[in-house]
Parts: sequence; C-alpha cells; structure tokens
Amino acid sequence: MAKDPKLHAPLSRRDFITGLTVTLAAAGAGAAAMTPLLRAREVPSLDAFLQQHYKRLTAEDKKAIFARLEASIEKTYGVKATIGDPPPMDGVEFAYALNIGRCIGCRRCVYACMAENNQSRDPQIQYIRVLQMKKEGRGIDIESSVHDYPQEEAGDPNYYYMPVQCQQCKNPPCVKVCPVKATWQEPDGIVVIDYNWCIGCRYCEAACPYHARRFNFAKPGIAAEDINPDMAYLSNRPRYMGVMEKCTFCLQRTRKGRYPACAEVCPTGARKFGNLRDPNSEIRRIIEQERVYVLKEHLGTIPKFYYIFAK
Amino acid sequence: MNVSSDSPRGNRNWGVLITIPVCVFMIVLFAALFFSASESPSKPAPLDPAWYTPETARGKELKNKVMVGNCYLCHAYWVGTPNPDVVRPRFAHAAIKLDHGANDRCYNCHLIQDRNKYAADDGSGIMAVNVEKLCARCHGLIYNDWKAGTHGVRRGRWDPRGPFERVAFKCTQCHDPHSPKFRFKDFAPPPVWPAKFIRRPAYAAGP
Repeated sequence: MAKDPKLHAPLSRRDFITGLTVTLAAAGAGAAAMTPLLRAREVPSLDAFLQQHYKRLTAEDKKAIFARLEASIEKTYGVKATIGDPPPMDGVEFAYALNIGRCIGCRRCVYACMAENNQSRDPQIQYIRVLQMKKEGRGIDIESSVHDYPQEEAGDPNYYYMPVQCQQCKNPPCVKVCPVKATWQEPDGIVVIDYNWCIGCRYCEAACPYHARRFNFAKPGIAAEDINPDMAYLSNRPRYMGVMEKCTFCLQRTRKGRYPACAEVCPTGARKFGNLRDPNSEIRRIIEQERVYVLKEHLGTIPKFYYIFAK
Repeated sequence: MNVSSDSPRGNRNWGVLITIPVCVFMIVLFAALFFSASESPSKPAPLDPAWYTPETARGKELKNKVMVGNCYLCHAYWVGTPNPDVVRPRFAHAAIKLDHGANDRCYNCHLIQDRNKYAADDGSGIMAVNVEKLCARCHGLIYNDWKAGTHGVRRGRWDPRGPFERVAFKCTQCHDPHSPKFRFKDFAPPPVWPAKFIRRPAYAAGP
C-alpha cells in the first residue's frame, strides 16, 4: 500500500488542544458527578466486608465482631453498649396472646418497642401497628380498619383495637423467599435477621402477609440519649441503611426470662406472653380454653400470635 | 490524529467542541450541588417517656386506692354504727361517687363493724391487702383467670424461678373500686407517615 498521507499526517496543534480540552472537560465532569462519594460516611472496613453469615461464625469471630460493633456504636452515639448473643432456651417455643376486648389502643406497646429496640425515629419505624375497626356492622374486618387514628380516638368503646406485629409464624413465608438466607427461624420460634448479611431486596417484606417487616430507607436516626445499651446481635442493635428489621419478641429480654417490652407496658393486661411448651403457662391456658383467632389463617403461615376476646 | 477534526465544514469539528461547554456546565452544576447540600442530619427528638412508661389502667388517678391513715381514726369512737342502708354519706366521704353497677350499697363491701376491713360472705372481715377475696365474691370467674395469669397485668419474668420474680397486680391497682370502668386516657400519638402514602378504602371505618 502506498503511504497514505492521511494516516501518517502529524497531529496539528489545534487538534491536540481540542482533544486535550475535551478530555480534561470530560474527566472533570466525571469527577464532579462522583462528588457524592465524598459524603459517604459508611465505607465498610475490611473486617465488616468479609464478615460471614451468623450461622457460620465461631465464638472468637463473634467476640471480635461484637467488639467492633460496640466500638462503632460508641463512636457514633457515645453510648457504651453491650452486644450479647443469648442462645435459645431449651424446650421453649414462644407464643403471644392478645385480648382485643381489653386493648384500648393507647399505643404504649408501639413506643415501648421503639424505646427498647432502638428503632429509627426519623424516618419513623414502628414494628407494631394498631388497627382500629368499628364493632358495629362488620366487626373484625381488617380491610376497613384504620391504623393511623389520632390519639384522641383511642379508648373508644365502639371500636376494636388490634395491634399487629410480626407473628413469628411456624411456616414463615419471609424465610422461604430470602435469596441469601439472611433471615431464618430459630428453635424457639423467633424469626431473626442477620443485619450484616441482608442485601435489602425486600422480598421478605413483599412475602409477609402481615406487613411485619420494615425496611430502612435511610440511615436510622436516633438521638444518643434514647439508645438502649442492652443489645443483642440478632435483635436490637442499631441497624444500617438498606437492611430489613422486624419484631423479634425482644429476644434480648425473653431469652433471659423477661417479658417483651410491649407485654410489660400494656396498662390493661391485654398482652400475654409465654412458653407454649409449658402446660402451666398462661399462654397455654389461654389457647386451650379461650376462643382464639389468628390472622389470615387460610394462608397456612401458622402464626404464633393469637387474638382472643374478653368475656 | 487528523481524523477527529476532519469535517466537510472546515477544519473545526463543532460536534466535539460542543462537549467542552457541556462538561464545564456539568462541573459547575455538581460543584454547586455538593457545596449547597446541607450536611447535618436533623437530630430526632427523643421519645416522650410518658408514652412507654409502664402504668396500670388506673394511671395516675389513684384516688380511693388507699385510704390515708387508719379508718379507726374516725370510726372507732367518733362515728357510731350507722344505718346499713345508707347509700350516700352525709357528712364525710361525700366526694366518693359509687358507680359500680348493681352494687350500690356501701356496706356490700365495707365491713360495717370494722371499717379497716372489707366484708366477707359470712360477715367476717377481709384485710385490705387481700382485696381480691372481696372482689372474688361476685367476680369469681375473673378471679380464677387472674390467679392463672390470664387476666390483668403481669410483669417481671415469664418463667419465674423464685417467689418474688413475677409481678402481679391486685384488683384495686387497676380498677377503681367505686367506679371500676377504665378511664385511662393517656394515649400516645399515631405513626408519622406522609399522608400520600396512606391508602384508605372508600368504606373505611372511623373518621
């Protein structure tokens, strides 16, 4: 081939400067577009990035991880927290009974849960939703219930108040759909989430028929003085943006024998909690003797949350 | 290379040169957004402790829960044994309004001979600390439920290992005996959600 003059012509000065300016401008625009990364506060450390699923952690792993989490909580909130890991108790299966004839819809359970489990205040996350439905006419009709009734309308004898939280189903649909197995059911019936393994796809939120699972759309906002320092890895330690959370029957309390926060605070004694395997517990007595109602029974989720009516 | 600037319109390729002001515009735009965005997240207010402090349904209204002092202060010497059918005392205790349904006689519950005690079925006295025996005279089924733990407030531990680890409340700690219907009005606010995300069906009950 003859020497093609076009291919080997020298680069003119004009073209060089044009090309250089365009390259610099494009690079500058690209860098400017990436400036939000400078605001990223949560670049994970290598340990956090390589952390294994909870079920694969050894005891030493757990100690190191809990120490790292406690240090980061102290750095963020200035609160000295203890992250524990209470194991499930033997021969225990938790169940909950709620007497909707006695519930007055005061919502103390909702806020006791928020206080105990370090839920985000801004944006607000509440595990418990209290449904208000008219007694006359339809009766227990969830479709016509209202969950954001103002506080002046609580305690109205013409309405039923029905708090709904995670039912800790025996056949949980949320566990079945998790693509990474970040949520599973423990031997004592509580369905738990490993917040460091969750990828935030929200399949479980879609699968839950009771809307029990909450997603952190933003970094949880809690005031430092509101933090409850008694934490557990699987339940009430502060969560991250982009992970799911839900009621865990306060396993940091119930696995040590105490009542969950919602049961303790209820002023009318509408909430009853206990061990289903113990024949003398109040929950067993309620289920054996009372007329109980579970939500969405036809879906086969076998919830552990039983609703009863006062006599 | 000559290729980039070769164009039939002359030796200036406007298609390429237009990228320069576009990129400069992008730089200015993102820099402005970066420096103007408010960095400080709003610190959320702490929860009002009144919303999650454990209380009984009697709340702060503990009138008539415990009579101050010993009833013998008046009823030993100063006041004789009255007419057992009186329903509204004339000189003292006038502020008590008895609103207990069909139970409208004071001496159904209060022992007429000994005002420190309550009246049992056989006319003997029940001490004030055993008030549940009094209520069990009429509300026996509820009393059985209360003993089993299915009625009333229980706090403490669900698996008590010792005698003092379960906290149960006596009848009058929740129910005002003279007017037992709950008047608990200490409610907490509804969830804070933007209204556009709340769906209401057309036939919603409530407001």
